[in-house]
Amino acid sequence: MSIKVELFSSPGCRSCGQARETLRNLVGEFGESRIEWRTVDVLEELDHAVALGVLATPAIAIDGQLRFTGLPSVRGLRAEFTRRLAAKGGTEAVTENDAIDGNTLKVDIT
Amino acid sequence: MSDHHQSRFRIGEVARLTGLSVDTLRYYEKIKLLRPVGRSLSGVRLYDRHDLSRLRFVQRAKAMNFSLEEIARLLEMREDPQHARDEVRELTHQKLAEVENQMKSLETLRRELTLLVNLCHATRDGCPIIEDLDVHSKSG
Repeated sequence: MSIKVELFSSPGCRSCGQARETLRNLVGEFGESRIEWRTVDVLEELDHAVALGVLATPAIAIDGQLRFTGLPSVRGLRAEFTRRLAAKGGTEAVTENDAIDGNTLKVDIT
Repeated sequence: MSDHHQSRFRIGEVARLTGLSVDTLRYYEKIKLLRPVGRSLSGVRLYDRHDLSRLRFVQRAKAMNFSLEEIARLLEMREDPQHARDEVRELTHQKLAEVENQMKSLETLRRELTLLVNLCHATRDGCPIIEDLDVHSKSG
């Protein structure tokens, strides 16, 4: 089971690069097989952005639902991914008790 | 009834309050969008609050591109909804659907413009978004 993540960005957006980096790191943690993601230039896909309710950038939609506007926190984004994956039946979802130590993801299996 | 509700307005005042021209106001009376307007002893037209309310309804309906004929029938409904003819009720339902569709379209436009304004605020150097949109529209 995987979730689809869209990062909405725009030219001149100062926080979009940081949001992309945060997202890229989390995708690395969870695995690309579980999180399909892409960057959407709102000017290229204005109708799509408006339909999802995007009113500013950066913004992140998950499975077609707008979930974050502005620069998301790593913790908040991780929690949302975990919740979504668990809801889809993924048994090995990373939980909020898990932690990042340097480049290592420590998974709580208790 | 308070004095406020008994106020009477000369045609010039009504024109100022509504933005309609004096000629338009006379025309609306002539084609019966307004009931015969009251007159002073000297024959000067005196509009009441009810007339103003009808005129504002006409303006809103015209802004939705309803024809004057349709507006006249909608005013029938507005005056006495419980005894309106079936044809007038049907028209009112139809126009309600048109207004709701228009509202959806306007809401989408509002979101789109809000997004564009916010994108401009997010940049320090003028509004490159608009320039990009221009490029996209020319290439599309």
